[in-house]
Order: sequence, then C-alpha cells, then structure tokens
Amino acid sequence: MLSPERLAQPDYEYLAQRHVLTYMEDAVYQLLENREDISQYGIARFFMDYFNSVCQGTHILFREFSFIQATPHNRASFLRAFWRCFRTVGKNGDLLTMREYHCLLQLLCPDFPLELTQKAARIVLMDDAMDCLMSFSDFLFAFQIQFYYSEFLDSVAAIYQDLLSGKNPNTVIVPTSSSGQYRQRPALGEAGVPEGVEASLFYQCLENLCDRHKYSCPPLALVKEILNGVQRLTFYGFLGTLSKHPGINQALGALPDKADLMQDPAMDEELERLVVRSRLHRTPRQHRAKEPGATGAPRDKLEAPEKAPKPSWWQPE
Amino acid sequence: MIPGKYRSVSGRAANNVNCGLHLVIQPSSLPEKNKVEFKLNRDTPSFPGRLLQHDLERNYSSRQGDHINLVNSSMPSFPILQHSSEEKSLYSDRLTLERQKLTVCPIIDGEEHLRLLNFQHNFITRIQNISNLQRLIFLDLYDNQIEEISGLSTLRSLRVLLLGKNRIKKISNLENLINLDVLDLHGNQITKIENVNHLCDLRVLNLARNLLSHVDNLTGLDSLTELNLRHNQIAFVRDVDHLPSLQRLFLSFNNISSFDSVSCLADSTSLSDITFDGNPIAQESWYKHTVLQNMTQLRQLDMRRITEEERRMASVVAKKEEEKKRESQKQSLLKEKKRLTINNVARHWDLQQRVANNATNQDRKDSASPPQDPCQTEGSTISPFPEDTGAVDSGLTSALQSLSVIDTHLVEVDGDTLSLYGSGALESLDRNWSVQTAGMITTVSFTFIEFDEIVQVLPKLKIKLPNSLHLKFKETNLAMLQQFNALAQLRRIDQLTVDPQGNPVVNFTLWKYYVLFRLSHFSMQKINGTEVTQNDMIMAERLFGILAHVASSELPQYHLISILGDARKKQFRYLLETKGKKPGIVNEENNDSKRLVGENTNRATLNYTTREFYNEKLEDIKEKKKFCKMYIEDLVKEATEINMKNEALQKLWPQMFIELVRDAVIETRNKNSYMKLCLQQITDQK
Repeated sequence: MLSPERLAQPDYEYLAQRHVLTYMEDAVYQLLENREDISQYGIARFFMDYFNSVCQGTHILFREFSFIQATPHNRASFLRAFWRCFRTVGKNGDLLTMREYHCLLQLLCPDFPLELTQKAARIVLMDDAMDCLMSFSDFLFAFQIQFYYSEFLDSVAAIYQDLLSGKNPNTVIVPTSSSGQYRQRPALGEAGVPEGVEASLFYQCLENLCDRHKYSCPPLALVKEILNGVQRLTFYGFLGTLSKHPGINQALGALPDKADLMQDPAMDEELERLVVRSRLHRTPRQHRAKEPGATGAPRDKLEAPEKAPKPSWWQPE
Repeated sequence: MIPGKYRSVSGRAANNVNCGLHLVIQPSSLPEKNKVEFKLNRDTPSFPGRLLQHDLERNYSSRQGDHINLVNSSMPSFPILQHSSEEKSLYSDRLTLERQKLTVCPIIDGEEHLRLLNFQHNFITRIQNISNLQRLIFLDLYDNQIEEISGLSTLRSLRVLLLGKNRIKKISNLENLINLDVLDLHGNQITKIENVNHLCDLRVLNLARNLLSHVDNLTGLDSLTELNLRHNQIAFVRDVDHLPSLQRLFLSFNNISSFDSVSCLADSTSLSDITFDGNPIAQESWYKHTVLQNMTQLRQLDMRRITEEERRMASVVAKKEEEKKRESQKQSLLKEKKRLTINNVARHWDLQQRVANNATNQDRKDSASPPQDPCQTEGSTISPFPEDTGAVDSGLTSALQSLSVIDTHLVEVDGDTLSLYGSGALESLDRNWSVQTAGMITTVSFTFIEFDEIVQVLPKLKIKLPNSLHLKFKETNLAMLQQFNALAQLRRIDQLTVDPQGNPVVNFTLWKYYVLFRLSHFSMQKINGTEVTQNDMIMAERLFGILAHVASSELPQYHLISILGDARKKQFRYLLETKGKKPGIVNEENNDSKRLVGENTNRATLNYTTREFYNEKLEDIKEKKKFCKMYIEDLVKEATEINMKNEALQKLWPQMFIELVRDAVIETRNKNSYMKLCLQQITDQK
C-alpha cells in the first residue's frame, strides 16, 4: 500500500487515478439530497454507510447512467449487480432479445443508453440479425467488455476501420465521438480482398493505444495471446473472442467464471425463503377471501410452509 | 255463369244438358205463367263431335227439329241464328246461348235491339259478329277460349262485360265502352293493367286469378267501388289513392310482403274493406296493427269487422314500435359517431408516432458522423438523406395540426366499462363523477394514449374509481418492463389486459412474470385473459425475487429512504429494525405488517418515473453535482495545501530538529552562565 510510486505522484494525479474525488463528490451530493433524513441519524454514520456500499458495490443501484459510468469500480459493481439480480433468468434457460435485456438493464438504471446494449448484442451476434435471441451468459460476457472497456473498444473500432481502408496505423487516432457509430463493414465478396485485418499489425496498433491512453484497457498479454493465434481477424471476431476469454473475466473480477455463472448459493437460499414466504402470503389471502370472519395470524401457524416442488435444474448447494 | 246480381228472382239455372241447341230465355219481367221454355230436342244426332272442332266451315244447316233455325248463310263460316218471330216479340232483348258448344260467335240477325247476350261455357275463341248489336248492355263470355278482347268497338251501350275464365293476355280495345259498369276479367292471363283509364263509370273491376305482378295505372276510374285482385302475384300496389270511390279492395293470395309496397292505401280515404290474407305480410307479427294504424278508415280487414279494442291495441303497439325505431336510430347514430371519433383518434395517434419516430431518427442521424452511411436503427428504416426526412416530418406535423380540429378523444361509459380513446380523454377523470356511476365501473380501457400520460393520471383513477379492477391497454406504447412499476400505486388490480397492438412489451418473453412479480400484492387473477396459476406466481418470484431482495436489503439506508419517500420511511424502517432484532423468529409479524402495508415492501423501491420527469431530475442533478464538485475542489485545494505544508515540514524537520538540539546544547554547555541567563530572562519578563 505504501509504495514509493504512490507517494511520488502529485496529489491531483493520485486522487484522479483512484477516482477518490468522484466518490467524495457523490457522497456530498447524496448528503445534499437527503439532508433532513441523514441529519437524524448522524453524518458520520452516513459516510460509513456510503463508503460501505461503495465497497460492496451496491452504490450504483438505481443511479443515473453518468454516475455508473464514471469509474471502473462503478462499472464492475454494476456488472456484478446485474449478474446477481438476473442470474435466475439465465438459470431458467430463457433466451431473450436485445431489447428485453435492455429492459432488464433499465430496471437497474433507468436511463441506460440503448447504444451500449446494441453494441453488446452486435458482439454476440457478430453484427448479424439483430433481432436474434441470446443466452444470458453470452450476452453478459459481451456486455461486460463492451461496458467496462467502452472507450477502448471505440478506439479499436476506429483503428480497425483505418487499417481496413489502408491508412497509416501509426498516426494518432482520436475517436471523434465517444458513442461513435461503427461504420458498416466494407462489402465483402470482391475477388482477392481478404477479410479483416492482419493480426500482427493490429496488435501493434493496440499496443500503442494501451500505452497512450489513460482509460482502462484489457491486459495486453491477453490481447497478445488472442492475436497470436490467428493470421487475420475481423473486428467482431476479435471482440467475440475477447469476450469469451476467461482471462478477461478474471482480470475484471466482477463476474464469476462461465462455469460458475449460475451458482450463487447465498442468493439461492434467500430466494427459497422468499418463494416460500410468497406462497404463504398468497394462500392465506385466498382463504381469507372465502371466509371473511377468520383472523390471519393463527391461520399462518396452522399451515406448515410446504416446500415448493423443486424443478430438476435447481441444485442449491 | 251470370253473376248473381243479374240473375232474375225467379230464374232457373240453365240446364246442363248438352245435346242439341238449347235455348233458354229467362224473361225477368214477364209473369210466371208466361214463361216459355222451348222443348228439348233430345234425339239430336251426334253433334258434339263435330261441334267441338273449331271448324269454321261447319254447316249447321243439316240439323233438324230446332225451333231455332240455324240457316245456311251466304258466308260459309258462321252459323246464323234466327228467332221465330213469335219468340222475337216476347223475349226480344235477351239471348242465351250457354253451353252450345259454340266455337265461334254466330251471326245474329235481326236482333238489333238485343240487350243481353250470354255465351257462357262455350269454346269461342274470338269475339265476332256482334258489332251490329249496338244496343247490347250485357255481354257474358264467361268460360270460353277467347284470346284477345276485340270486336267490341261498336257496343257503346255495353255496361256489363263478363270475360272471366278465358285466355286473354292483354286488356285492350275497350276504348269505346265508356259506359262500362262491370268488367270481369278474372281467370285470364293478364299481366298488366292498361287501357282502362277511360272507364270513368266502371264500378266493379275483377282481375282475380290473372298474372298481375303489380298494380298501377288505375287513374281515371273515378267510379270504381270494388277492385278484386285475388290470386295474382302482386308485389306492390300503386295509384289506389287515385280511386276516389274505391271501397272494397281484395288482395288475398298475392305476394305482398311489406306495408310499404301498398303504402298508397293509407292515402285512400274511401277504402273500408280490404283483404290481405294469403300474402306473406299476413304472417308477420306486426301485420295487423300496422295495417290498422296506417288505414284508420278501414271497417273490415280480411272479411272481419275491426273492433275498437283492436284499433286501440294497434295504436299502442305502433307507438311502441315507433319509439323502438327511434331509439335504434339514435343508437346507430351514436355508434357511427363513436366509430368516426375512434378512427380520428387512431389517425392522430399514428401520425404522432410517426413524427416521434422521425424525431428520434433525426437525433440519431445528427449524432452520427458520416451522413452517407445508413445507420441501422431498430424497427424503423430511415432514408439516408436528412432533407427528405425533414420534409416528411414537416408534412406530418402539419397533418397532425389539421386533424386536431375535429374530435380528438372519446370517453365512453358502458355499464361497467369506461373506455378512453385519445389523450384528451384523460381529462374526463377530473370531472365530477356521480358515486353510483363511479362505483359501477370495474373495467377501464385505455386506447391511443401514451402510457406515460396514463401514469400521471393513476392517482386520480385510484380516488375517483375505487372499484376499477380490470385495466386494459391498447396502443399505449408500453415498451419497457419498468413501466409496470407505475401500476403498483393503485389500490387493487384483478385483471390486466395488454393488447399486443401498439404495446411492444408483449413481445418480451418475461413480461407476464415481471408483472406478477412487481404487482404480487394484488394477487391478480388474470393476465390477458389467461388465469394466473400458483406456478406462474412461483416462477415470477423465482425469476425476480433476488432483484427484490437486492433492491431492498442491499440498498444503503439513505438511498432507500430517498426513493421511498416520507410515508413509507417509518414503516420500512420499523420493519427493517424489527427484522434485524429478531432474526430467528418466524416472520409472522412481518407477514402481518406486510399485509397491512398493502404492498410487498421489498419491491417498493422499483419505481417508474416517466421520461420527462426523469430528464428534469437529471437536470436537477447536474446542478447539484456542479455545486458538489466545486465544494470538493475547495476541500481538495485545502487538503493539498495542507499536504504540501506537511510534506515541506517533513522535509525541513530533521534540519530544524538538529538546529534546535544544537542550540539547546550550546546554551546549556556552561551551567553557571545558563543559570544566570535564565534568571535574567525571568527578571526581564516581569
């Protein structure tokens, strides 16, 4: 923790790199918003709550998109929250459209932009048939890299386009807009024009990019690994491979590995409890509807909570 | 047969003997004893065979023993009838030649004063040879084979013309018979009433058993009292109101099926007796009272007197029918108006949607860098040329404005259903509703209204229509799951119907489960017509239960409170605190209090704010954040200054410390001089 490099950095840089100011500002903003309530139980307690929630990753729930996007930690927390809340959807085996996933995202963040979801969907579907259904895990991993590394991916897209059109890759490339539209791939099928770009050249450009820019990039080693395996590659091919690489997942640390994606024992237990409680909640009400005279409480005791029949895929551990 | 009126009181029917010429003269004025009958000549040779042949060359002169001589005429065709002079003087004005097997009209010589001529039951095919009988008043040709009315042009005195049971196809050649009183053409093949308009003295017209399909062209028959049209194929009747004397009209056994087809009868003031039996109209339930109501002058219907009672009943029933008709007319008018309004609202809605689509596409296009690349937006395709889009857009907005002049919304209350079409209809919830009407409404249906607008009106709905249990949404732009969160604020929903038309949310796989999950406290019975089963509820809980858990227990306290608002704060805090204090006890109390609260509080944080409000909120946030940023910057500046000072101190401190120590050591090297120095310092201080 107390490394010499850390102490060597000038103050502002240090603060900026760890996004300390963002959280401080947000804490003060929350304080402003709820000052009457917070003043009741003390400001110190408030700050404790706030930073605890930042550590746990629950601070991004139902917040505006600009906040969620602000720091890498926020993004990772959001990804994790999304996974935890909707893992059950994936476990159920439902395949959903891009729009539906976007709805689920919006449940957690009301103004989440559609473009990001669209781009994530493009990675899964290889820019083809955008109305296709996607599985939860596919979408989640694609969405992970798209959201966490958005700026990086935008720059990569620009680089790719340049390489395709044969421009000099070593010129400084600045993406014109943060939500830049990906231009359509050039028409394939012309005789003699190979698809995609050359891998080694591509890697060089990416290396330059990662060195130059401040925003988070995936570990270069992983990128190198991916690009070493192939001669040529397309943009979405590259992204697809990137999203499925387990190393990326581990580097981010937000989501569990693909194999364990559907497992969350603690939550499953909680869910069981909720389900049981909801059945209790419902049946007495129905009974009460038929017999208006009876009271509620003793009835609860009489009805032993019967376990809900477990479907075959349910394996709480 | 001669019609009864013209039969004499003491008349004897003609004998049915068919042999030989049988003359019967029935004088009506002579006394009984002077009745003369000519004897039958029974041993006539077999004439029938020859007589039945329509052989105009027949020579009857070979007969014998007749008192009447049929003498050979100079013309080879017709027999000539000659009376003996005796008979001529006695019965000079009547001549009966019934059943004489005549195939032609014989020439009747020397009978110019003849007034009555009877040719019944013969086989005559043409009316001929009677032109000289210019005093003829009564001509009976019943039951012959006449095909055409002709040969009557000289009979200007004719008053009774009986042509029943012939083969006449057309009424014609009656021009000169202006004195005609009775015209009997029953049992013929007449298809059309014509050429009778000049018969202004005609009192009885019998056209029964013909082939008439309609009745008109009856003008000019000013004296007509009785018109017999039984057993035809008449479907409608006209011109009867132009018959000023018509009293009896017989229309039995025709094809009349509605009163409209005989509507002229209502205008006839003279009619007192009418028959319709055997017509389709007589089978109708409204037959009697319609006729009675429309023809108040009638005395007899279908040969039965009309009683006062019947008339009264008829008018009562008719009035009721009238009212019913008026009601149904009003209803259909209303329905039409409603349909037009709904169409209008639909058009309006359509235009709005297209304008909105174009606007969003325009925005996207603006943000995109290269304009010549078509960008793929979900759903709608846009033209690659911004100018075109702009032109279409302006066209649409102007069309939108022109539509708003007409009715743009519709509110309809139909028993237990309140239907709202168009966003203007939402204002109707502001109106004063009578407790009875409001209490009866159990279903509210929204069509062509933006869901976001409906959300704003839901609190009013909750208060004004407390019994609304079923909500229906069609063409309301329900596109996101979180929009259902807004429905949680209502008191109760038993049924929810979201029509796929105009509501993209229905295309989602999980929408029903989300609704069941979020609105679980309503215990909904049906969604889109299908029953909600226990399994559905469990599945919904399974799918989204964790979301609720995360949304409640994992939210930091301050955030929870800010979302829930004042009213819930206390309840929620109480719940959380009690939960925390007694973790082991079965959550009975919690269940109870949850029920009291009325909503599963663990999902109470899942709210929906409409886009407008949200954008406003974001604006607010920006302001506040700016302030926070500035504040923090100040703090940071302070902190960095302090830090700098601290670091500077850190750097300088060793040096300073050494100097301090050195100074102190130097000072205290000589104990005595140091003591002196200290004492001096003390005295100086005083």
